[in-house]
Amino acid sequence: MDYSRPELADRLAAEHVLGTLRGPARRRFDALLPAHPALRRAVAQWQERLAPLTLGVPAVAPPDRVWAAIEARVFGDAAGASTVAADRGARARTSGDSARWWQRLGLWQGWSAVASAAVIALVVMVATPPPAQPPIVVVLAANPEAAQALNASFVASVSADGRALVLRPISAAAPGPGRALELWAVPAQGTPRSLGLVQADGETRLLRTQLLRDTAAFAVSLEPAGGSPTGAPTGPIVSLGKLQS
Amino acid sequence: MPPDPARSPSRTAAPIDTWGRRSEALADALSRVALGDRQAFAALYRDTSAHLFGVILRINTDRAQAEDLLQEVFVNVWRAAQGFDALRSQPLTWLTSIARNRAIDSLRRRKSEVSTVSANLPGDDGEGDLDQTAQMAGDGPDPLQQLEQAAQAREVTHCLQQLSAEQQQCVALAFYQGLSHAEVAEHLVQPLGTVKSWVRRALMALKDCLGRPLGQQAH
Repeated sequence: MDYSRPELADRLAAEHVLGTLRGPARRRFDALLPAHPALRRAVAQWQERLAPLTLGVPAVAPPDRVWAAIEARVFGDAAGASTVAADRGARARTSGDSARWWQRLGLWQGWSAVASAAVIALVVMVATPPPAQPPIVVVLAANPEAAQALNASFVASVSADGRALVLRPISAAAPGPGRALELWAVPAQGTPRSLGLVQADGETRLLRTQLLRDTAAFAVSLEPAGGSPTGAPTGPIVSLGKLQS
Repeated sequence: MPPDPARSPSRTAAPIDTWGRRSEALADALSRVALGDRQAFAALYRDTSAHLFGVILRINTDRAQAEDLLQEVFVNVWRAAQGFDALRSQPLTWLTSIARNRAIDSLRRRKSEVSTVSANLPGDDGEGDLDQTAQMAGDGPDPLQQLEQAAQAREVTHCLQQLSAEQQQCVALAFYQGLSHAEVAEHLVQPLGTVKSWVRRALMALKDCLGRPLGQQAH
């Protein structure tokens, strides 16, 4: 099914939010969401449309044991239930450090400055007239901090109108089984926008509106297969390229 | 007899956007939850759990399962709060959508469990079906009453009222009780294709109506 057809995407999103999209179709749709910003947008719009209807649903106070169970799972208790602690530890190791990495983008100027000569040399405005509006080329350099997770660098060419992006790997190890690479447009402030999953072994072409608006950098993160389950990067950032403004 | 519009609390005089205002109050808590603030998380639970539990219970009427689902929702919120983008969606919409999603997904699991169990019960004389009908009827307001009670959601309610009675009923059964197309068809004793096209047209009409500036919505 061609999910990039806007009417189809909108209809499926509507039925997903209404709840009538079921079974394999719902699961397929859920699996596609991380890699399809247009689908996610359609879902978000339908949620905004329909969610207020739940104001008519009578509130029901849950019993206290629900909060107790949530606290135990999320914080662990003072006695230190070992499974909970292990769960939290694992989570901290896998996502704690990389979470909110975009807020530390400034700190990264350190390592990206090391490679700055290369980056600046490669962030070129290709000055080949006649196209008066040349494409913008950005190198996404490998993040040394994530090298043990995956060593990958890319070149992104973005059309001057910000509607098309071609990402090519320079050198990129394939993500292991059950993992995927996801491309993000990172604003100077706020949350990155997913541009979808990308390939490590070939060219990925993306057509979007406004690829460059508010975009301070492009980044590739290592995510579970199917892409970030949260809509924000959850895994380590394996490569990053800042746009010169 | 319809209530006198001059006396009954008029829809247009209802808070302009209760949903939006409740959401605003939650945005701060949610952003602190994203930073790992436990107190903010507890406050968020205090302020939203009864609403979300109510939403879940309408869809999955099994109380024990609904409690587990609510627990899942908040564990998920704690872990995913940093993925919440306040510029793009309202906190209450985000939270409600997580709860609805979980509840709808649980129906799939529950139904496959139920069918396995009943297939192994030779004495089953159809009581299961009765139970399901009872669940659909539920207690408390029926789906159409719930639509009316969502009066604060002025815009969407107004647009729902433009739909035909059948379309309204389909939307209400699916949205509030998590019925699939097939279940709605069974409930309304209508062919599946008819129900699907009612739902589809209802959604298109809703989108069209909600996309218009308030003053230009059809009356």
